[in-house]
Amino acid sequence: MTFLIQQTLLYAIPLMIVALAGVFAERSGIINLALEGIMIFGAFIGVLFVNLVQQAGVFDAAKEANNWVALQGFELMAMVAAAIMGAVFSLLLSFASVNLKADQTIGGTALNLLAPALVLFFIRIIANQNTLQMASGDAASWFMIKKSFFGYGRNDEMGFFGSTFIDKTYIATYICILVFVILSILLYKTRFGLRLRSCGENPQAADSLGINVYKMRYAGTTISGALAGMGGFVYALTTANCASTGDVAGFGFLALAVMIFGNWKPLNIAGAALLFGLFKCVAASYSSIDINGDGIFLLAEAGISPHFYRMLPYLITLVVLAFTSKKSRAPKAEGIPYDKGRR
Amino acid sequence: MKKLLALVLALVMGLSLVACGNNNPPAETGESNPPAETGTETQTPEESTPAEETTDPDSIPDSMTSEDGTYQVAFVTDVGQLKDKSFNQGTFDGVKLYAAANGLSYKYYQPANGSEATDEDRYNAMKAAADAGAEVIVCAGYLQEAALRRAAMDYPDIPFVFIDGYPLTEDPENPDSAVLTNVAGIAFKEEQAGYFAGYAAVMDGFENLGFSGGGGGTNDACCRFGYGFVQGANAAAAELDKTVNMNYSWQYGATFSASAELQTMISGWYANGTEIVFACGGSMFQSISAAASANDGYVIGVDVDQSGESDTVITSAMKGLADAVQWAVGHVYDGTFTEIGGTGTSLGVEDNAVGLPTDESSWRFESFSVDDYQAMYQAVLDGTLVVDNDFSKLETTEWSNVNLNII
Repeated sequence: MTFLIQQTLLYAIPLMIVALAGVFAERSGIINLALEGIMIFGAFIGVLFVNLVQQAGVFDAAKEANNWVALQGFELMAMVAAAIMGAVFSLLLSFASVNLKADQTIGGTALNLLAPALVLFFIRIIANQNTLQMASGDAASWFMIKKSFFGYGRNDEMGFFGSTFIDKTYIATYICILVFVILSILLYKTRFGLRLRSCGENPQAADSLGINVYKMRYAGTTISGALAGMGGFVYALTTANCASTGDVAGFGFLALAVMIFGNWKPLNIAGAALLFGLFKCVAASYSSIDINGDGIFLLAEAGISPHFYRMLPYLITLVVLAFTSKKSRAPKAEGIPYDKGRR
Repeated sequence: MKKLLALVLALVMGLSLVACGNNNPPAETGESNPPAETGTETQTPEESTPAEETTDPDSIPDSMTSEDGTYQVAFVTDVGQLKDKSFNQGTFDGVKLYAAANGLSYKYYQPANGSEATDEDRYNAMKAAADAGAEVIVCAGYLQEAALRRAAMDYPDIPFVFIDGYPLTEDPENPDSAVLTNVAGIAFKEEQAGYFAGYAAVMDGFENLGFSGGGGGTNDACCRFGYGFVQGANAAAAELDKTVNMNYSWQYGATFSASAELQTMISGWYANGTEIVFACGGSMFQSISAAASANDGYVIGVDVDQSGESDTVITSAMKGLADAVQWAVGHVYDGTFTEIGGTGTSLGVEDNAVGLPTDESSWRFESFSVDDYQAMYQAVLDGTLVVDNDFSKLETTEWSNVNLNII
């Protein structure tokens, strides 16, 4: 059970935060198809940051001394670096769709094409191959929170809560949840959030009340870029051993599906992300999931083909979207470049 | 509704476009030599051979620029990364060591399209090597067979060294057709290295083992490693009169690359009591060692001594890739290639080509000692202990002391 929850969170959190990134852009009226590209770029920047700082030896002393608090700080810095560069990368989309009034889906697709090519180009220059890894060690030994930090020995029990939510976790997971909550409140309970949402529903009306639609759309897309960049790095850190390969396994697109399934609402998105995360986790580890701890691996012994389990996340996406898309309510003005002269 | 449809359509389009976008960049850069173009890490062969040979392959640059633009010793990589800290890197170390020691120019060629490389991509890499004046081309990995056959027939004057390979005939359908005498196949007795690792792990007290192999079960080398591993574990368990459990899987390793799925699966093994996993496949090591590190588990490395990569590596089932390459390329340059051309060489303990690393820093067993290992090694060398290499018997054999759980 502990294993299932932990692995589900590892897959669900990047999806959730990137889906929220999509919400911020779309609520302000910009379709951000470039989530995948921004994730790839953010993952690259985060890994590059980790790699360079390791090479500079800044945290070697902290690693030697097992000063895990300093290493968590290092992880946070990498997340911030990824978020900043993700935001910068998304400015390309904002510029194209706000200033140039270009078609947003095409702009997003262009970024999706650009990011993996650009990232692989840089990785080949830097690492002489197609993968950029940490300069030394692995993600778990540098960044993972373990029970030994709190004085527990190898065989000591932490209890269900401790062993599930503290032992073998990444601080990134909790930072993402925190950011998710704060930004959801920002979107629904603040003046800024209301203005942002109004620009996605009826920008003309918003403009007539003195809101600068262009600024709001820039803000929405930039927040979106920062979140997607951070999400990309969190994905690379927690599930891919902090390696960047110019690929995030389609998580950006899965996040778009989660956003639509979640009906552009944060709470629904969190639920949807957990659902997809659960099935991604089941697909990879069905053979070793022991749901109620009685030593029987139900899923492995059910006699169902492994290929079925591997299809599950995508089957579920199809089924769920087919049933929920009728009710889905996208922001009304999304995808339409704002033109002051139009009614 | 219309808008949603448009969005979904755009999504599909984006997905398909990105799928291409992902593959194209390596295709464009795959055969070029990026560092040479970017002007970094350039070194002439004269500078790199200051009389005395360098023994640490990592101190020899991966890329060099020769003055006349020809590269004498060429290396065509297998799938996976050049610096996989395993198969490709171990083979390339041999190329670099020989070239540096003898003042030759060398260059590596990665077939385009990464892990989806086709025979055409591989052939193009070999052709690029031949066009750049290669005097010997080292090709790593059995996947290169078809491309190698074509290249060897197109360039009959160039000797090819086929690592993890076997002699090739002109017509793959007809085993009686002429043997290509410019291809030297070099294979290893991986089952012996696997046996050592399995035996040592169980003798050291591990009771729950795992094997995660690359190539999806179609790679003979990995199959031999795995079969030997099970035999070794079984023999040790029988000696200790106990039963050990083993998860045995080829999943998520078809392309020898690290993946989130592999990491999750192996994490699941560790979470359910597996103590040590034999990571048998190039870059897959990254995922498996990450899972081990997160769960305080242990890893057995493969091909080269991987103890330096992670503290979780307790030993490595090594094969002497670098030595074999130097030995084969040496035959080319001392004019005795005809002795090995057209034949298959299988290197094992008698050639000192397989084994476990016994350096103090690499030996991390607690109760199983280097002396115990050497006794076992000697037994295989004497022929008193024979490790079977017919891996097709893995699933049909009744293992007396191993609960084999094939996933």
